[in-house]
Amino acid sequence: MRSMEIEIPVTPMLDMAFQLLTFFILTYRPAPSEGQFSMNLLPAQAATEITKEQPKDSQTPSLDASLRTLKTTLRAGEGGLIGEMTLADKPITDMAGLKTELESFVNDPVLSFDQAVINVDPQLRYSEVMKVIDVFSSLKGADGKPKPLTKISFSELSEGPGGANP
Amino acid sequence: MSASLNGEVRAEPNLTPLLDVVFQLITFFMLVINFSQDNFDSRIKLPVAGSARPQDDAARLNDERLVLNIDSKGNLIFNGQVLSADEANGKIKLEAQIARQNIKTLRGKVTQGEALPARVVIRADRDTPFSPIFAMIKTCQNNGYEKFDLKAMNGP
Repeated sequence: MRSMEIEIPVTPMLDMAFQLLTFFILTYRPAPSEGQFSMNLLPAQAATEITKEQPKDSQTPSLDASLRTLKTTLRAGEGGLIGEMTLADKPITDMAGLKTELESFVNDPVLSFDQAVINVDPQLRYSEVMKVIDVFSSLKGADGKPKPLTKISFSELSEGPGGANP
Repeated sequence: MSASLNGEVRAEPNLTPLLDVVFQLITFFMLVINFSQDNFDSRIKLPVAGSARPQDDAARLNDERLVLNIDSKGNLIFNGQVLSADEANGKIKLEAQIARQNIKTLRGKVTQGEALPARVVIRADRDTPFSPIFAMIKTCQNNGYEKFDLKAMNGP
């Protein structure tokens, strides 16, 4: 019996495949690894200082939970970097200090707050604001589990000293 | 390799494995290519934040989004065009009106003061002063947007 060998020419197919490969290599741009902070940004409300829970028999009526607000103030220094930072009117020196203070608030069973307001200097760089949001989003509870604070409102500091202009 | 009767030697390399590899490479590039670029603007250098989470692909496909690219001078870049503050406010207002109209078409009515379901994605340059970003956030809030995604690079 005579055997028949059929040879399919693959060279044109390979040519076309190389052309397609070249196109995809040239148009390929690896996407940068972008992340995001998802949050509900509500318009800033009237802020009331964070306080300890009042005893039941106290003459002072307890505050509405929606009004309990943790206030952070960021003032710009040279070059739009953070010059001064306060948390509930307490001066904070760096991001590690801010994280420690915030975790002490978050993990305190007596203290409670419903939202955080960040008063930001208009001249402060966005990267500095994001550093603070990064700290708010990376908080951990007493059990070591993530406990991010995402109920945040922004307000802009007025030009005058100490004033916020929500 | 094959030899004919008159002594001529023909080299016939087996191209099939090479073709297989090339097809695999093409498949890889076809899967990872992204033509839309997701409203990505290379002029904007995002800030770096370690705890920024990558966006869920399912959420990206399902959620309606308004992407605001803000350059280092605080100008809004919309579809590649640099807009002034007034133009930016007008654009955000127009987008909100379109979103409301879409809801009205789907549901029949829109409640006064109802928050829009769309997410506002803010891609602002790391050197932008806070003031113009805050102005745009306030404009969005005044037009009914409440859900915001602040973009940052995943860094150390």
